Amino acid sequence: MNPTMIPLSPHKSVRFRFNMANGHLRICVLLLLVIGLTSCGPDRMDDYSDLSIKLTNQNGETVQFPEDFRGKPVMVGFIYTHCPDICSFITANLYKTWQELDETGDAHFLLITFDPERDTPDILASYADSFNMNRAPFQFLTGSPENIERLMERFSVRKQVSYTTETEEGNEIYFLNHTDKVLLIDQESRLVMDYGGSMTPVHIFKTDLEPLL
Amino acid sequence: MIRSNRPPRLLLIPLMAILSFAGCQSDEEPSPVESDGIHIENPWARPASEGRMSAIYLTLTQYGEPADTLLGASSDIAHLVEIHESYEADDGLMGMRHVELVPIPAGESIHLEQGGLHIMLIQLQHAVSSGDQIELTLHFARAGDLPVQVPVKTEENP
Repeated sequence: MNPTMIPLSPHKSVRFRFNMANGHLRICVLLLLVIGLTSCGPDRMDDYSDLSIKLTNQNGETVQFPEDFRGKPVMVGFIYTHCPDICSFITANLYKTWQELDETGDAHFLLITFDPERDTPDILASYADSFNMNRAPFQFLTGSPENIERLMERFSVRKQVSYTTETEEGNEIYFLNHTDKVLLIDQESRLVMDYGGSMTPVHIFKTDLEPLL
Repeated sequence: MIRSNRPPRLLLIPLMAILSFAGCQSDEEPSPVESDGIHIENPWARPASEGRMSAIYLTLTQYGEPADTLLGASSDIAHLVEIHESYEADDGLMGMRHVELVPIPAGESIHLEQGGLHIMLIQLQHAVSSGDQIELTLHFARAGDLPVQVPVKTEENP
């Protein structure tokens, strides 16, 4: 059987000649070409450049998403502070990712609440304190209910009240079912990857984030 | 001639000193709590600020017969203490639900762990930080009330 010949012309045209009888080999070569072509450039899942949403961080400072975060990759997790299990997991995962980067990675790490009615900047600051994350490069963001709703709709983050309970003092507390998600966004505000937020191993976040640094 | 197996007194003094110093270590893992066959191991809780929520994780093992049941938990640290379970709902959302009781079959372990069963501390009376200890009481159908010292840590095995 003659070997596959893919002579590369020194000129602009590239000539392919498949002189083989084995169809499987032909499929393999085509598959490799497809893989090669798709890996040539960034193939982003979404582009958030058209957004311009006003948010407030845990220090009470106004930020504009995504403009204020352009130029660096961004990892974004979605939380609410009445959730001590899944959302703590997501928050801790972003912290551990930053640690895995030897704490030198030049990236933004954002935790955005989808419960803006209760998660005020002060509440987010104390939540950040308990994770030792009330400092750069971490920001905990809230905003007006309208802006948060617009942002969550674009990120496909959903929530709904699951049940309510009452303390002995009669204070009613509600809990939310919610999307468990972390996003990786590149320097140009384009979505690189969409992950399960709490269960994705930190080394996967690190592996995907490092090429963007 | 009577021979004593007791160590010489000169050796006892430094030995007791070492033991007493070792007992002062505050960052030691708490000893497993055992009563009527129930073992409580590896308790830990997440840090949280005043008025917020925290979660306690631990492992319950019923080594003996018969089975037992965890009926609930209580602590002065929070306004409300409930057993909760994180779960994935049919629509793909992650949810949390109240669990009335947790059966512990004879000879088996039940893990209260991240993303699953946990003891929910609702509206903390004051902030808890890494290094703090939370006093928790677990209520069992057979073993009764068992106190547990729960260390506060940022993660299970930092």
